[in-house]
Amino acid sequence: MSTNNYFEEIGAWPFRTHSLGGMYGWGYVLSLLLTIASYEAVMHHIARYSVLIVLVLVLACVQFAVQLVCFLHLGRETVSRERFIVLSCTALIVIILLSGSLWIMFALNERMVPSSDEMTQYMKSQQGI
Amino acid sequence: MTYDHIHDHQMLSTEARAEDNATLFGFWMYLMNDFVFFASLFAVYLVLRGNVFGSVGSDMFNMPLVLAESIALLTSSVTYGLALLAARREDTSAVLRRLCVTFVLGAAFLSMELVEFGRLIAAGHGPSASAFLSAYFTLIGAHGLHIAAGLIWMAALMVVILRRGLTRFTLRKLMLLGLFWHFLDLIWIFIFAIVYLTGII
Repeated sequence: MSTNNYFEEIGAWPFRTHSLGGMYGWGYVLSLLLTIASYEAVMHHIARYSVLIVLVLVLACVQFAVQLVCFLHLGRETVSRERFIVLSCTALIVIILLSGSLWIMFALNERMVPSSDEMTQYMKSQQGI
Repeated sequence: MTYDHIHDHQMLSTEARAEDNATLFGFWMYLMNDFVFFASLFAVYLVLRGNVFGSVGSDMFNMPLVLAESIALLTSSVTYGLALLAARREDTSAVLRRLCVTFVLGAAFLSMELVEFGRLIAAGHGPSASAFLSAYFTLIGAHGLHIAAGLIWMAALMVVILRRGLTRFTLRKLMLLGLFWHFLDLIWIFIFAIVYLTGII
C-alpha cells in the first residue's frame, strides 16, 4: 500500500484509497456505454425527434454526473464540499444563461413584431402617418 | 524542509497543505469560469444553428470520426487518472508511461478534429460560410485550443517529472492538469450530445 498521500492531504481525493482504481474503471465503462448508447440511438432513429433529443440530453447529463463522481472525485466527503458548492452555483448561472438566452432569442419575433391588428391600431393612434 | 523523497504518512506541513489546498480551489474557480465561457458559446451556437444561409446544415458531419474522437478523449481522461494513481504509488516510470499514452490519445483527438475542420473548409463549409458555421467553429475551436494548451502543458510536465521526479511541486501540477483534462472531457460530452448528436437527428 502506498504511503504517498499528497492528493488526499490537499483535499483533491477522498480518503478511500482502495476503491479509486475501481472508480476509474467504472467511470470508463459507464461513460463508454452511455456514449455508444446515445450514438446508436441517434444513428438508428429509434424514436421520434423530440423523444430522441430528450434522451440524448438525459444520457449526456448522466455521463456528466458519472465523470464528476468517478474522475473528479466529487462526493459527499467534506474535502470536496467547497468545490461542490462552487460547481452548483456555476451550474445555476449556466442554466440561467442558456435558458434565458434561448428564451429571449426564440421569442423575439413573437414579442417584437406586432400583429397587423396592433399595427392598424398604432397607425390610427398616430393619425395615419 | 525538503519534499523530494518523503515516505512519511504526512508529507506536508500545515502551511504547505493549506497553500496547496488553496491552489486547488483557485484552479477549480478558474475551471468554473471556463464552464460559463463554454456555456455562452453553446448559447450562441444554439441560437445560430438554424442560420445555415444556403450552405448545407448539420448533415455534413462525419459521425464515425466524431465517435472515434469522443472515445479517444474519454480514454485519455482515464489514462490520466491511472497516471495519478501511479503517482500516488510513487512509480515515476509508470506515471511517465501513462502520461505518454494520454498525450498520444489527446494528440490523436486533436488531429482528427483538424482533419474534420480541413475537410469542412475544403468542401466550402468554412467559418465564413454561414452564422451556423461561425458558431460551430468558434465552439469546437475553443475546445480544441484548450486541448492544445493541455497537450503543451502535459509535454512540459513530463520533462519536469523526468528531471525532478515526483516532488510536491510536480505532484501539484499533475493534480491541476488532471482537473483541467477531466474538465475538457466533461465539456466534450455536451459538444458530442448537443452539437453532433442532436444536430443530425
